[in-house]
Amino acid sequence: MFVPVGSEGKWPVLQAQVHSVERTSDSLDRTIVLVTLLLLSLGIMMVHSASSVVSAAKFHDPFFYAKRQLLWALLGIAAMFWLSDFDYHRLRSLAPKIAVLSFVFLGAVLIPGIGAVRGGSRAWLGIGSFGIQPSEFAKLALILFLAHLLTDYGDRMSSFRRGLLPPLLIALMAVGLIMLEPDLGQSVVIMGTAILMLFVAGARMRHLGMLGGAGLAAFAGLVAAAPYRLDRVTAFLDPWKYPLKEGYQIIQSLYAIGSGGLLGLGLGNSHQKFLYLPEPQTDFIFSILGEELGFLGALTVLFLFGVLVWRGFRIALYATDIFGTLLATGITSMVAVQVLINIGVVTGSIPATGITLPLLSYGGSSLTLMLTGIGILLNISRQAVYPAKIKMNDAK
Amino acid sequence: MRVTPRLIRRRLVILLMCLLAAIAGLIGRVFYIQTVQSPWLSGKAKQLWSRNIPVQGVRGSILDSSGQPLAYTATALSILAIPSQIKDKVATAKALAPILQMPENVILKKLQRRQLSTYLNPGGRRLSEQVAEKIRSLHLAGIYLTEEGRRVYPYGDLAASVLGITGGDGQGLTGVEKEYDSVLAGKPGAILYYANNKGERMPGEGDDFLSPVNGDDVELTINKSIQEFVQREIERAVAEYNPDHVTAIVANPKTGAILAMANYPTFNPADWRNYPPSTYNHNLAIWQTFEPGSTFKVVTLSAALQENKVNLNDRFYDPGYYEVAGHRIRCWKAGGHGSQSYLNVVENSCNPGFIALGEKLGKNTLFSYIKKFGFGQKTGIDLPGEGTGILFNLKKVGPLELATTAFGQGVSVTPIQQVMALSAVANGGKLMKPYVVQSIINPVTGQVIESTEPTVVRQVISPSVAAEVRSALESVVANGSGGGAYIQGYRVAGKTGTAQVAKNGRYESGHYIVSFIGMAPANNPVLVAYIAIDYPRPKNQPVFGGVIAAPIVGRILADSLAELGVPKSNQGLAKKIRWGDPLTVTLPNFVGLTMKQARDLALQSTAQIRTQVNGQGQYIVAQAPAGGTSVAEGSTVRLILGDTPPAGAIDKTG
Repeated sequence: MFVPVGSEGKWPVLQAQVHSVERTSDSLDRTIVLVTLLLLSLGIMMVHSASSVVSAAKFHDPFFYAKRQLLWALLGIAAMFWLSDFDYHRLRSLAPKIAVLSFVFLGAVLIPGIGAVRGGSRAWLGIGSFGIQPSEFAKLALILFLAHLLTDYGDRMSSFRRGLLPPLLIALMAVGLIMLEPDLGQSVVIMGTAILMLFVAGARMRHLGMLGGAGLAAFAGLVAAAPYRLDRVTAFLDPWKYPLKEGYQIIQSLYAIGSGGLLGLGLGNSHQKFLYLPEPQTDFIFSILGEELGFLGALTVLFLFGVLVWRGFRIALYATDIFGTLLATGITSMVAVQVLINIGVVTGSIPATGITLPLLSYGGSSLTLMLTGIGILLNISRQAVYPAKIKMNDAK
Repeated sequence: MRVTPRLIRRRLVILLMCLLAAIAGLIGRVFYIQTVQSPWLSGKAKQLWSRNIPVQGVRGSILDSSGQPLAYTATALSILAIPSQIKDKVATAKALAPILQMPENVILKKLQRRQLSTYLNPGGRRLSEQVAEKIRSLHLAGIYLTEEGRRVYPYGDLAASVLGITGGDGQGLTGVEKEYDSVLAGKPGAILYYANNKGERMPGEGDDFLSPVNGDDVELTINKSIQEFVQREIERAVAEYNPDHVTAIVANPKTGAILAMANYPTFNPADWRNYPPSTYNHNLAIWQTFEPGSTFKVVTLSAALQENKVNLNDRFYDPGYYEVAGHRIRCWKAGGHGSQSYLNVVENSCNPGFIALGEKLGKNTLFSYIKKFGFGQKTGIDLPGEGTGILFNLKKVGPLELATTAFGQGVSVTPIQQVMALSAVANGGKLMKPYVVQSIINPVTGQVIESTEPTVVRQVISPSVAAEVRSALESVVANGSGGGAYIQGYRVAGKTGTAQVAKNGRYESGHYIVSFIGMAPANNPVLVAYIAIDYPRPKNQPVFGGVIAAPIVGRILADSLAELGVPKSNQGLAKKIRWGDPLTVTLPNFVGLTMKQARDLALQSTAQIRTQVNGQGQYIVAQAPAGGTSVAEGSTVRLILGDTPPAGAIDKTG
């Protein structure tokens, strides 16, 4: 079946079917809503448990982080439901403006006095005690813009220069700005998400392979220039070699997860949150969860993320147009990449990279923008046409 | 390649599968960490969380043979503060200040230290029971009361090198303290708790107090009274002769139990840090090795008698030297002892006579006896840091080495080896293993937990030979060079020794070790006593070596035998009743020598001659009686000093 992609980016084959089936609009993916709310609740609970020691010591209020996380979650849920009702096609016309805005923010945050430094990175635009992270916003903005761009590319994707290169350069520009903060984690997530989108959009495997080769060569160059970098990257293989430096956080994380065992020490009973794991409510929330809730809790979380990824790709698969497909792919890939990197790092499976765990880690920007993305996903799902429903209609 | 919906969908499915596979991989990874690795990781984590503040038990006492404590630990309650457990440091300091009578800010400063635990010096150490009770009633977090010990030595330096020293944590470093450290130390307890990364106690975990087990007491074979006699005699010798070192040992020859052991320079174990390390690091009595000199002749004599190579009534002619492999080895007595019995050879400590005995034995036999007597190997005494000594390699022993070994040169031995060898002669031929700890005692019940039984290493000579050697040695004291050790009423047997000290392969001028080893009563010795004085420097006048060490051993034996309640006997040899030839000494010629040269010359001679110096000046210008004159033992020689050496007085060899 070789059907050319239509001028409006609609799926011609589905378009044909649409006439024969009843459009099931306004039926948003309830599974995603349920999974999201479950993860959110689990997250708020774990943020409270993990942060209580730190927040009691710092702010004399064990609920300091939990209260804020709850506030952000409510704000995010509102955004999610509002966007689930907001036709995502209207976002497409806004995509270039949003992209430009995000680059302005990424640039602005680097200017001392405007951007605030936290944890060694100038990554926050401070508004009072709340700070927003332009890189979180940029992730979503870039997904939107790449989806917009690639929707019209079609066969141009076969070309390296005309197909792969322009979106790649845009992503690299964003990554370049983020690396100036510096924030390696966000950069990796953006690059990863962009490449997964390019893969789905039909980039040639040969080109992607070349890209991978170039990446490896660049890394080899960096290592050759400063061999300690290799140690830093391979520290995760034997963190006990550097127990006080590169390996410290991984060791502490493994202690947490390992002492959890199958059933965990019980909610609130983590030892590692007692200042052994730095900032346990953000990047290492999964470690505390593994310690307190054991393998059972960890399995639940990974299972829920698995369901989220599956539903997200299902929406991408049955979206009514290429823009919807690519947008859903981007959002879901972002969630998946962050989950894999975060849990990969805290379990000592991949080199250390700081990134939050979607929906679970503490962080206003991370949480609200994640829920915004899921809101967009829900709107795509609302407009999608599923084969199951086709069959149901056929049966009628 | 065309981008078709089918391609996009295929890629979506591939990507989904890959991502789900990755998530499944992470599930597997987490499962592995939480099941297989969990015991290991949680064990390591617990180590990380747990804080362990050791609490020592009370160290056991070291008692003398009658149960009097020579070293014990005095305990008192002290405050041990764990700063990280104290939330409100200001309030804690405020509460403690009036009770401990310390300024609040001083306490606060200590509580603010970044340490696992700290004592509150000085007010918080060794508290009275009332103060301790007041602190207990305050129930302050992070303030613990622990028993803290201090080693007390009621008799100062008494038996210091046997007792040894303890370090800052009460651990034994030398002596019995080290050898029996595990017995004395008991088992330490601990304060255990789980802490966060700042050391603060984790809530809800509680803490554990493992109470320590106190150490057991150690009862020594050391007899406090005899030890005091020995140290008194050492002090006296030091005052008189200003030597480098003095070493003395008193042993029970029947068991190998050490009744006294002392060295000079010594130290007070209570503040050993104020002494040079050489004083407390080495117990000279078991560590120092040197040429034994004539005391070693006992070994040669025992071997010759055991092997039937000699009869003490046989005659021997000493022309003043003995020719071995083309070398003339001189007798210490110029001109020689002439014709004498072998008993006289022993009494006179005549070198040529012993060379002859060595030749009769042959090197294999002589060396086998030396080894059987325990030389060249550690005695196995229950003290750390024992020396081994050096013997000639048997393969390299030629006639010359055999000759010098026979009279105690060219071998290197420790004092304890000599004492045990002589003990074998004393007890009927059995080499015993020496020991200083008699038993291990439960300090509460007084029950003996472990007791040392005398250990026979081997039978070296027969009881009858041993008795024959003893009677010869008794005759040495009664008639010969050991006269200074003679005690009226006690039968003393013994042997003098004078050895020149070699340094860097050469004999050092003027550096002698003068020693005497004796036993009493000679017919059935209950004591063996030994003293070695390293580099005696007589202050005023030359002193003959023979009058330095022997009288000391005589006094030690007399006092010790009385202390032990050994009855006096009249069956011993009367002094000065000569067997065979009357014993005379040919005086050396001192004229023309400086005082220093005269001192060295006198020291080399074991003759029982006293000196009296008249006048002033650098040189000895005259002496009476003159050099070369034969005089009876016990005579006095007068030396006249002047500023210029007399002309023609060149014959310094006398």
